[in-house]
Amino acid sequence: MPKIDLDFKKKLTRVEYADFLSYCYQCGACVGDCPSAKLSPAFNPREIVLRVLLGLAEPLLKKDSIIWQCTTCYTCQEVCPQGVRPIEVITALKNIISAQGMLPDGISASVGIIKDTGRVVLVSEAINKRRTEQGLTELKPVPMDELNKIL
Amino acid sequence: MKYAFFLGCVIPTKYPQFEAVARKSLPKVGVELVDVEGFSCCPEPWNFKSYNIMAWLTIAARNLAIAEEAGLDILTLCSGCFATLAEAHHILEDKPELKEEVNKRLSKIGKKYNGTISAKHVVQVLRDDVGVEQIKKSVTRPLENIRVGVHYGCHLLKPSETLRVDDPADPRILETIIKPLGAEVIPYAERLSCCTGACQDEEMIFKFRYNKLQSLEEAQVDCMTLVCPACFEAFDLGQVMLNRKLEKKFNIPTLYYVQLLGLAQGLKGEEVGVTRHKVRSPALLEKLN
Ligand code: SF4
Ligand code: SF4
Repeated sequence: MPKIDLDFKKKLTRVEYADFLSYCYQCGACVGDCPSAKLSPAFNPREIVLRVLLGLAEPLLKKDSIIWQCTTCYTCQEVCPQGVRPIEVITALKNIISAQGMLPDGISASVGIIKDTGRVVLVSEAINKRRTEQGLTELKPVPMDELNKIL
Repeated sequence: MKYAFFLGCVIPTKYPQFEAVARKSLPKVGVELVDVEGFSCCPEPWNFKSYNIMAWLTIAARNLAIAEEAGLDILTLCSGCFATLAEAHHILEDKPELKEEVNKRLSKIGKKYNGTISAKHVVQVLRDDVGVEQIKKSVTRPLENIRVGVHYGCHLLKPSETLRVDDPADPRILETIIKPLGAEVIPYAERLSCCTGACQDEEMIFKFRYNKLQSLEEAQVDCMTLVCPACFEAFDLGQVMLNRKLEKKFNIPTLYYVQLLGLAQGLKGEEVGVTRHKVRSPALLEKLN
């Protein structure tokens, strides 16, 4: 039997609004309109919230976790009658996965480019050439010294 | 009407044609775009937010602080940038203790965000600040006979309690600013479905996009229009990739709203950059030129 851990939810980030989950009464409204749940029966925002409430979120905290199927469409937040914001609970879980160094490779690569260059796309000569062809100025580098200081 | 022009990352690098047409067409409706130095990635609200929410909030606050220093509201063409900047502004206003913590970090580079500006998506500026009449006045060649399917995407509208752009269950903002261009907006079943740019499951992504394109095809549109570069990639490059997997081939060109605006103001198809897109439709070009 897995052990219930009612304190797990305290690990969720306080930055976003993931802290309303205790109000969840498991009505399932968030499941009915969730596009990912429609295509993947194993993906279920109601169940994700329940697992976090009971501290049974361990299976969700993996590189290949089912939570990466979420489209971040925010529909669950719109429809939840209790103001729970399941999507923010999912984001908080992703932050925990990230802190454990287990982000999926694609995401980790894209985060790395931002941390290195301040942009999510690498600016190449070809890009600047295409810009000048269209009458636009070249892109200047992002002041990384500033970004590094505040992170 | 002056705004700090927040380019973001994807448009100026992958799709500069949208930036170029915005710089031509927005001044014609009275919008002055000011280039402010020093902006970084917004940062994008999917991967970077999953990585570390505090880092996401701090970088967003730095961008907001730069525009605030210039004394300007932000205008962006990208729904991702809009969602990040508008949401970060909201969080900082709503949670003073976080604002204090973020500003402590910003003080290391001599910056501070007071919360006196707002970040707006270009479609909001067009509906609320410019207005339909002004758009209509700038039109020299109405897009008659063009059947457009609109794609809203998610991050322009949701979470609605923070973004406050329109009702996500029945939005009208895109229809409102397309009508003065003379084009016909065609309803279709999957109008509000997501581009699924953030979903990490390839099989699901294909299904989502297939459903959307199928629904657009059934509605017999000449093109779809949208307002986010992530959505654009999903339905332009994404359509080509989907077609490779399928027996049948979709051919639904995707136009950014500002391209439609530019066309209605008299620019040619090549001038607004539709010839740079992966999915091209000679029939549409003929209708447009
Ligand atoms: S809609 Fe809200 S209250 Fe209902 S199950 Fe989902 S999270 Fe819980
Ligand atoms: S944000 Fe994720 S969990 Fe919520 S409705 Fe959309 S896909 Fe489902």
